[in-house]
Amino acid sequence: MIQYIAIILFVFGLYGLLTNRNVIKMIISLNIMEIGLFIFIISVGFVYDGIAPIISSTADLGLLYVDPLPQALVLTAIVIGVGTTALALAFAKSIHNKYNTFNLDEVEEKL
Amino acid sequence: MSAILLVAVPLLAAFLSILGKKLAPYLLLVVGLFNIIILFFVPEGIVIIGGFEQPIGISLLLDTYSRLALLLINGLIVLISFMNLGKYKKYAGILLLAMAGLNGMLLTNDLFNLFVFLEISGIAAYLISSSNKRPVKTFHYLVLGVVGSSLFLFGVVILYSMYGTLNMVDMIQKINLVGNYSELILPFTLMFIGLGVEAKLLPFNSWVKGVLGESNTLSGPMIGGVYAGAFGFVLGRYITNLFMFEGNLLLVVTVLLSLGILVGEAMAYSSSKAREILLFSSVAQASIVALLFVNGVILWAVYYIMAAAISKTILFFVINKATKEVGSDEIDQLQGLFVNNKVVGVAYTLITLSVMGLPLLVGFTIKINFLTQLAAGDQIWLIIVILLATLVEGIYFVRMLIKLWYKGNNEINVSYCNPLKIIFVIIALAFLTFGVYQTPLNNLDNSIDTVMEVVDNG
Repeated sequence: MIQYIAIILFVFGLYGLLTNRNVIKMIISLNIMEIGLFIFIISVGFVYDGIAPIISSTADLGLLYVDPLPQALVLTAIVIGVGTTALALAFAKSIHNKYNTFNLDEVEEKL
Repeated sequence: MSAILLVAVPLLAAFLSILGKKLAPYLLLVVGLFNIIILFFVPEGIVIIGGFEQPIGISLLLDTYSRLALLLINGLIVLISFMNLGKYKKYAGILLLAMAGLNGMLLTNDLFNLFVFLEISGIAAYLISSSNKRPVKTFHYLVLGVVGSSLFLFGVVILYSMYGTLNMVDMIQKINLVGNYSELILPFTLMFIGLGVEAKLLPFNSWVKGVLGESNTLSGPMIGGVYAGAFGFVLGRYITNLFMFEGNLLLVVTVLLSLGILVGEAMAYSSSKAREILLFSSVAQASIVALLFVNGVILWAVYYIMAAAISKTILFFVINKATKEVGSDEIDQLQGLFVNNKVVGVAYTLITLSVMGLPLLVGFTIKINFLTQLAAGDQIWLIIVILLATLVEGIYFVRMLIKLWYKGNNEINVSYCNPLKIIFVIIALAFLTFGVYQTPLNNLDNSIDTVMEVVDNG
């Protein structure tokens, strides 16, 4: 079920990217799309009735754990996502500095 | 000496370059040369990182295929930084980051690690394209790049959920055991689209015109030459070993790539701007490369990537320098560019004729060999498409050369310094040499890519 929600979020983000002409809204859409992807990654590691993958003693061996790898992957992906968002915002600022607007339609009119 | 140095040293140097900005361009040259030198000493094979045995830990794979790719990429970055010495100083750190990202992408044996390096090199590419001072075009590039890499990650995660591994060799082994191709169509398509965005494949290449059409002597050669070459190699690795397209997916990919070749050449033919001609020619070349790998032609596709990357680096540099001084990249405005620059003109002409595939030049040797291999595989339609593309390419390049050689109404004075002329002449002579003497090229064969060998040996 959660994977469907993740895919719907991803598609929402993609739809926002295709329909918006405002640079800031496009960056938000990009983030919504990435959040959908992150939830999908986390859902891949989910195990029903599984517990956090921390083994503290030999007595814990044999218990059912969720897959820890997708959690590590999503952590890396979030960091990369933050980096690209920061860069996108820097470009948005330079667009605003140059054309005094965040709207790409208005930018095209000025070109 | 380990292959990990090829990634670690540029990454460390990129951080150090922030501390000493004045020394950064020289640090870039030193690190690039260091990488080229150690490439001759690093032994081939799988490099395990952090002591985690395969398939648990991240590993790198160095074979002749990745060695050739790394030599090309590091060599071209050194060449471009040398040609731009004294200019774009603040981009030296970014070029080091690009070097680390591209080297990692070419070496890694882990699919998630590939995504990380894809993003690192992508971020470096967006920053390099920002040197064009066209923030809207750069923003479009960033958006498309992020969507592409997200789709790639989507495909990787689906594959992980199916096979429980991210190690490329381990995944190929597991896929071979299960052997159900129909359930792999979705992840492979997503990954192919992700790589296709950066590799400039139709229809995912709408960013190319905005970035390369407004490029300069740094961004043009870097994105049109270095990045195109690196992504050609990465795409080739994954098409040959992992995707192995078959059935309807093979048909769709073949038709898309053939369209990419024809549309790219048609767009180049209809353009009157020098930079646009070069960029659309690059789009067609990227599709040819992918098409060759799809049809199992590895060695000559590798040589084609190398020749195309070197050619486009020089062609973009010459045109972008002239554009900067003349103020326009319209061919009519650049008419007579080589009247006062005969040495550069001769080198440019030889390199362009090689791209077209004229006899006695390396481009012809490569084209005739891969066409022969396609003919052996009964791919007559693909041969017709490539020959048609070559014909169109010949027309627009000859038209461009005639304009650049014959004096127009305005006299153009673009100065290329002597070291640049020497570099252009050496490359043109190398193209001529390998065109008439192809024995060294025949010393290798399709086994340069050893992934399947590693898979078979467990």
